[in-house]
Amino acid sequence: MPTCKECKKFFPLEEDPKKGDCVQRVVDPRQAFYQAKPVEADRNAASCPSFEKR
Amino acid sequence: MAVTAESLKELEKKQAWWWIAEKKRSRRLDYLRKAVWKKGAIGGLYPAGLIVDLERPVLQTEKARELESSADPYVIKFAKILAHVLDNKTIFITDHSQLVGYLGSTPNTITWDPSLASILNHEVINDPQCLPEPLDDSLRTIKDIVNYWAGKSDLDKILPYMDLDDSMKILSGAIGWGVPLARGGYSGKDYEYIMTGKRAFEDIIAELDRRIDDAYAKAHEPSASKEISNLYDKINNWEAMKITLEAGIRYAKRYARLARIIAENFETDPARREELLKIARTCEHVPAKPPRDLQESLQYDLFIQLFSRNEAIEGAWPARPDYYHGPYYEKDVNVDRVLTEEEALDLVGEFLIRAYEVSQYKPKWSREGLQGIEGTWVWTLGGVKPDGSDACNGMTIALLKAARLVRVSNPTFAFRWHPKVSDEVMRECFECIRQGLGYPSMRNDPVLVANAMHWHGHPIEEARTWVHQACMSPAPTTKHGFQPMRMANATANTAKIIEYVFTSGYDNIVNMQIGAETPPVETFKSYEEFFQAWVTQMKHVFSLVVRPVNRGRMLAPTLTPRPFLSAVSERSVESGLDVNDPSISRGNAWITAFTWVENIDSLAAVKKLVFDEKKYTLAELKEALANNWEGREEMRLDFVRNAPKWGNDDDYVDSIMLDCLREAAKFSRELKCPSGNSWPILPENVSGNIHYANVVGALPNGRRLGDALYDGGISPGPGLDKKGPTAVLNSCAKIDHITHGRAFLLNQRLSPTQMAGEKGYQLCKAYMKTWADLGIDHVQFNCVSDETLRAAQRDPEKYPELIVRVAGYSAHFVDISRKTQDNIIQRTVQGLA
Repeated sequence: MPTCKECKKFFPLEEDPKKGDCVQRVVDPRQAFYQAKPVEADRNAASCPSFEKR
Repeated sequence: MAVTAESLKELEKKQAWWWIAEKKRSRRLDYLRKAVWKKGAIGGLYPAGLIVDLERPVLQTEKARELESSADPYVIKFAKILAHVLDNKTIFITDHSQLVGYLGSTPNTITWDPSLASILNHEVINDPQCLPEPLDDSLRTIKDIVNYWAGKSDLDKILPYMDLDDSMKILSGAIGWGVPLARGGYSGKDYEYIMTGKRAFEDIIAELDRRIDDAYAKAHEPSASKEISNLYDKINNWEAMKITLEAGIRYAKRYARLARIIAENFETDPARREELLKIARTCEHVPAKPPRDLQESLQYDLFIQLFSRNEAIEGAWPARPDYYHGPYYEKDVNVDRVLTEEEALDLVGEFLIRAYEVSQYKPKWSREGLQGIEGTWVWTLGGVKPDGSDACNGMTIALLKAARLVRVSNPTFAFRWHPKVSDEVMRECFECIRQGLGYPSMRNDPVLVANAMHWHGHPIEEARTWVHQACMSPAPTTKHGFQPMRMANATANTAKIIEYVFTSGYDNIVNMQIGAETPPVETFKSYEEFFQAWVTQMKHVFSLVVRPVNRGRMLAPTLTPRPFLSAVSERSVESGLDVNDPSISRGNAWITAFTWVENIDSLAAVKKLVFDEKKYTLAELKEALANNWEGREEMRLDFVRNAPKWGNDDDYVDSIMLDCLREAAKFSRELKCPSGNSWPILPENVSGNIHYANVVGALPNGRRLGDALYDGGISPGPGLDKKGPTAVLNSCAKIDHITHGRAFLLNQRLSPTQMAGEKGYQLCKAYMKTWADLGIDHVQFNCVSDETLRAAQRDPEKYPELIVRVAGYSAHFVDISRKTQDNIIQRTVQGLA
């Protein structure tokens, strides 16, 4: 089972590596941006469409 | 087309201001302006591409559920829910941006706060057009959220404590709008406390810790008293404030971290990498510590505004950005020279764009009443300092220049004119007006400072700090003077006053007795008797809209607290009381009087045609109005054409305006807010004149049910001012703009051809001098030709960026209803001589 911490887009918190941010590049019809969403390092990423093996 | 002086001149001749702006602004501003998702509703519906953000309500609901069994008092739970949202929401940084922060999880989202009102939640679930796909999943999630908050939302909690009779009349939608909630209206800020560079969040947290420690020690001394009992509530309030401030600091640090991640892992352009690192340094510093430069100052302000809007729906944006950011602009641009003027304009322009994109899901009646915009973000510029000296600075000019570059319809500016304003600043204001922005509106500062002292007893130094609380009403930015919440339902659809004189208070549109049961109109033997019935209805209507607000305000500290707004307010940090507690506020209430001038023209028509000339009886008129003038077109035209109309310097009708205002002003002193202060009236409309068109019955000024109402607070009816701009000003000048009410909105249209060049400026300057000398408190201009407006109606896709002044706000012409568009075109274009 892949987990978030194995993904290229996962950036762990220095103070607590069990937590981190999923950082992704998004391009919508008007603008491009980077977004960050807090995630747990051990979260199951099996059904995540953005998962990219580190 | 290459950017040459010739090509710009050609565009100017065509009044193609949008294209000029596009050519003049930097690449960064061009990207950011085009990147922004327009949020203002069109015809009451959100534009295609926008979606309701479900992330926030899911976070709120999961935390609320988790805290259900907690022993925390409500205010602490509320603060923890807010902190949970800030800690866990998705954040993003747009390419080229230097300022960060948005309410939603992606740029095209409208945020929804389900804890405010179940009636709002039901609108969301019935608004599938802007729900995220897949729709079934969204509806399932929303249903769960709606069910959870049923009975728990602010309005659900407040309503059982309100007078049912008053509530039903308000909720009928005939007489007023809005709800008496402390988390839904216009929130002022104690800028003198939070924006002067003397303190920031960490300083306030330290102060709160001291107060909590002192109170705790006092509460455990060998004694007992009411004061000691009150300390427990205060400690809870202080703790809640602290939770929100700490969450705010963490939220900013999340942006700092994201900016560093992008800079270190993704960005290849060294210049952009440096910008990202600057964003990181900025967000590591503010709001924890006071800002050190312009970027930090703007970012700090933006964070405060966003946190406050995470706590409440704020329908306005009271602000004075030139005054509070001016010192940082001066330091960076003119003293340290670390920013060029162009670089500073990039920051200032982006600041306007960041405000323009803010969006919160609002009820449909609100979206219809504020067509094309998200709320009345009327930012105050100019004015004087507390010592009376000119407050204009480099930032004033930068904001006016930036507005012409980014051309957003919201925020708009209102300029506090006073005799010491420099010609340079006036020219910048004029350029914005001439280039069709519809702003800044012009406010007569000496008159309004005196007005603030007269009505609410604000000391002169505090009165001089005033900002626009919403479209029009001044409010200081000081400890006891600022207004933490102006609840929008103190807004009266005043055309109902004259309507109810004919129906003895029965509302035939919503079929209920709303007004006073005055005697049948046909029994009145004199105009004086008729007018007294009008006074009775006026008192009844104003009391009706004020009572729920007073009650809501008194319930607010316990039922609907505002811990974040309290935390950035000196009076709450000092007292431990919620910011809405009336005991720590001086009071700055007002009644917005929509559709006011219909009363004046109607009374004048009745006086002249019924009582003076005896052409018709009141019984005849009553029947004609009841039948919406059907079968009586000739009679109706008599009332339109042969009765005097406001705005023509005609004492016959102008004296009626003064009679009405004097009666209203007298009654305003009898109406008291919970702080013990007065409730003056403020005649204006937003798009209320269109919103209420189908709610107000036929009137004696010749209006039929469904016709648009007049657009301004003291503007003459569209096309009814026949004697030119001086006559309009002379009529308006008969009003005492200090003692008759809180402010009076005047819309005027100018010819863009006449405003061209130096001659245009001199004409405008002469007009403004007359306006100022006459002591009129407000005027705002549309400066777009009929030709352009009609072309935009024919080919809206060619004019997506055409901006017009609607009432107390500006909007893109194509985003407002056809009826509102027509109403603007019908306004008389004043030729200045």
